[in-house]
Amino acid sequence: MTGKGIRSTGTALALLGLVGMLLVYWLSFFWVSTDRLQGVSQRIFYIHVPAAWTCFLAFGIAALTSGMYLWLRDERLDRAAVCAAEGGMVFGTIMLTTGPLWGAIAWNTYWNWEPRLILTLLLWFIFLGYFMVRGSTENPEKGKRFAAVVAIVGALDIPLIHLSVIWFPQFLHPQPVVVKPEGPTLDGDMLTVLLTSLAVFTTLFFGLFLLRYALETLRAEVRARERAATA
Amino acid sequence: MSAYLGQIYAIVWKDLLLELRTRERVVAMGAFAVLSAVLFNYSIDRTAVRPQDIGAGLIWMTIVFGGLLGVGRTFHLESEDGAFRGVLMSPVPKDAIFLGKTLSNFVLLYVVSLLIVAVFMLFFGMEIGTSPAVLGLVLALGTLGFVALGTLFAAVSSGTRMGETLLPILLFPVLLPMIVAGAGATERLLAGRPVSEVVGNIRMLAAFVLMAVAAGAVLFRFVVED
Repeated sequence: MTGKGIRSTGTALALLGLVGMLLVYWLSFFWVSTDRLQGVSQRIFYIHVPAAWTCFLAFGIAALTSGMYLWLRDERLDRAAVCAAEGGMVFGTIMLTTGPLWGAIAWNTYWNWEPRLILTLLLWFIFLGYFMVRGSTENPEKGKRFAAVVAIVGALDIPLIHLSVIWFPQFLHPQPVVVKPEGPTLDGDMLTVLLTSLAVFTTLFFGLFLLRYALETLRAEVRARERAATA
Repeated sequence: MSAYLGQIYAIVWKDLLLELRTRERVVAMGAFAVLSAVLFNYSIDRTAVRPQDIGAGLIWMTIVFGGLLGVGRTFHLESEDGAFRGVLMSPVPKDAIFLGKTLSNFVLLYVVSLLIVAVFMLFFGMEIGTSPAVLGLVLALGTLGFVALGTLFAAVSSGTRMGETLLPILLFPVLLPMIVAGAGATERLLAGRPVSEVVGNIRMLAAFVLMAVAAGAVLFRFVVED
């Protein structure tokens, strides 16, 4: 895809995502039925779960493209990695703020040492390190390699972190209601809103990702032209 | 294969000889460990909590912080006069350099971790438990995993402007499996629980070591290339 094509696709997807977000808000506030046990606070679920899904998707893309960058040394892979990682930070922050807000009502505590919480928090910090490494090297090429190494170690460590945190017998976090062997147990209208919201968040992420990618490409071009002009 | 082991041995020997002559890092880490134990004693209310109950956790946090002190300086001495460039230019594969550095760091930190346990026993009157050999194994696996990731990230952080400040930010999030499995096993062993209760922890530590050493050996070349 050309630079212009990426930009217009990104704009289209991001706009679609933003309009879809209005729909998600409308659906989750006015259309879907209220949870019998949790009441109104359950509605944050339609933001929290899609944000979590998008965050994991984004960090997954970032780790994968980081690994491929070290292997193939294609600048585009590094650009994709940094753009995906930024998206992961944004959606991860949404997940880490909406979760405690809901927890304050449902659990009567903002924070709990629950496996999924601590896994996400550590993932967020691994990618904080990713950006700090990138930003603090004199030579940008070095920063790209260092950041890729951080992302790969993080990705390799995540299964072990997951296994070790689930040893702690604290399971306040709700168990899965959609992806499980016997099929979803979520009510029909709730499932509809959740799936809509998942689609909207994913679309918005890819829209922002492509826009960010196009921006990064333009920046690289500016740098290359500056170098050519001074040389 | 034996040539490869010889290269690793050369790196380990060089590092340990340097340490033997300067004694900088071991003395710093050892002093840090003893002084931490002294401060810990006054940071807890001994009428409310017995040091034995939280001893395992304190031991592991002291290993982590003390280890950070030593591992962070892995490449410090060699960064002067371009000595590390010489090491990199020698006909030794990059992963052998990494494994050598990791092993020499491991020897240092393992000695310090044994010292830390001894100091805690002495200061807080803790019992060693019924299986000191297993405790030694748990400490060995924990410190090996720690120095493997520590050496890799020390190479990363020493190449940045932030230097050693960056090391804990990179290292701490990925250390969680080591702390959970290591401190958990230590707590049970110090309490005299049977070895069968810590087999799962030892497996987790072994998996962590495997991941850390393999990742470091493969990724180190990307960190030090020019």
